[in-house]
Amino acid sequence: MAVRRASRSRFVLLLLVLTAGTIITLSYRSKANHAIDRVKSWASDVFKPVETGFRDAWDPVANFFRGTVDYGSEKSANAKLRQEVGRLRRQNLERSDQARQLQALLALDKLPFADGLPKVTAEVINTNFSNFQLTLQLNRGRSEGVTVGMPVVSGAGLVGRVVQVASGQATVLLVTDPSSSVGVRDGGVVGVASGQGQGKTLRVDYVPPGQPIHKGDVMVTSGLQGGLYPAGIPLGTVSIAAQPPDSLQEELALRPVVDLSQVQFVDVLQWKPPPS
Amino acid sequence: MNAMARSRLLLVLFAAMALQLVVGSRINIAGVHPDLMVLTAAAAGIVAGPARAATVGFFAGLLNDLFLQTPFGLSALTFCLVAYAVATVQGGVLRGSWWVPAITAVVATAGGEVLFALIGAIVGQGQMLTGRLGAIAGVVGGVDGVLALVAVPAMGWAFRTEAEPARTRSRW
Repeated sequence: MAVRRASRSRFVLLLLVLTAGTIITLSYRSKANHAIDRVKSWASDVFKPVETGFRDAWDPVANFFRGTVDYGSEKSANAKLRQEVGRLRRQNLERSDQARQLQALLALDKLPFADGLPKVTAEVINTNFSNFQLTLQLNRGRSEGVTVGMPVVSGAGLVGRVVQVASGQATVLLVTDPSSSVGVRDGGVVGVASGQGQGKTLRVDYVPPGQPIHKGDVMVTSGLQGGLYPAGIPLGTVSIAAQPPDSLQEELALRPVVDLSQVQFVDVLQWKPPPS
Repeated sequence: MNAMARSRLLLVLFAAMALQLVVGSRINIAGVHPDLMVLTAAAAGIVAGPARAATVGFFAGLLNDLFLQTPFGLSALTFCLVAYAVATVQGGVLRGSWWVPAITAVVATAGGEVLFALIGAIVGQGQMLTGRLGAIAGVVGGVDGVLALVAVPAMGWAFRTEAEPARTRSRW
């Protein structure tokens, strides 16, 4: 009897493992992935009222423990000021990049700037859901015109891109997530910046040695064909610029211009990569 | 398992998911959140037999996968293995003391996080094998060990049938 029970248990486990393996394999196929995205979107919609209700109950308790009597208005004013400071910083950073690009621009018809794009302003309602991915949850979704793939910026620069969307919510993968890659440039030098994890700098690859990149330079999105982001959005400040001996590329690290642990309001740029 | 027990189980899974989404993801210890869904799978392993625990772990994982950007099914695979392993090991352990389930939950949930990253790396998500894996396993194990004092009785309540008092093992 015990042997039969054990073999039945093993059979059930085998069945579940095979089912899970099949689901994982299917999730890598684009058609099945669309269906999974729809189910995920539906699940977000189902849980949204629960989340909202819990959040409404939880936030006052958390705020009480954190702070002062007038916490709410101070928090809101602080957030607006931070956004304003961030916007001014971004303008400043973009201006310095524009000055460097001026001569090259004369030869170009037009450079697409993030400022010229339609935006959806959203509030960050939650941070990482998983311990293995760096994401933000926004309070705007499909109903407001947000779709998967749209870039997300804060006042100072690039935050990430939308990877999942429900009717009134969206999930953003941060640029610091290890699975995130962004095409960047500094003047005429292009490279790819990859996330290294929470609180860490971004690593820039594929920059050949001997390029005029210096500590303190601001690298912006390259916007090259096939890129995930429009050109000219500040991503990070060069914090390490070195040329290791016998290396085929520069050793570069970027400190994100946006303090990703403090983001409260963001703009979702209604931009899609042009078909290649 | 009768319809009433199934409804209770569904309720526990949805409540755990809601708590994870709203409260769990806002608790931050050294940059790590507690993981209530892997705890649900471990708790199922503590109170039920291997097959039933693995099934609950699978569905708990599938529910969890709906809110992650990792490959769909990764949590389902991990959690069913965790639940099965816990149920199998628990079969040979006398559970007289209150701390046995707590210690089991610490080991199972910490191991679950490591297994999740390992399977993730195997299916192409190499970045999940992060240097923070030790910290993630430690924090998740520690917090889930404490929360097991609530989660295990809740799972026992979900599995209870009229003929079978809480925290007795299932027949299959």
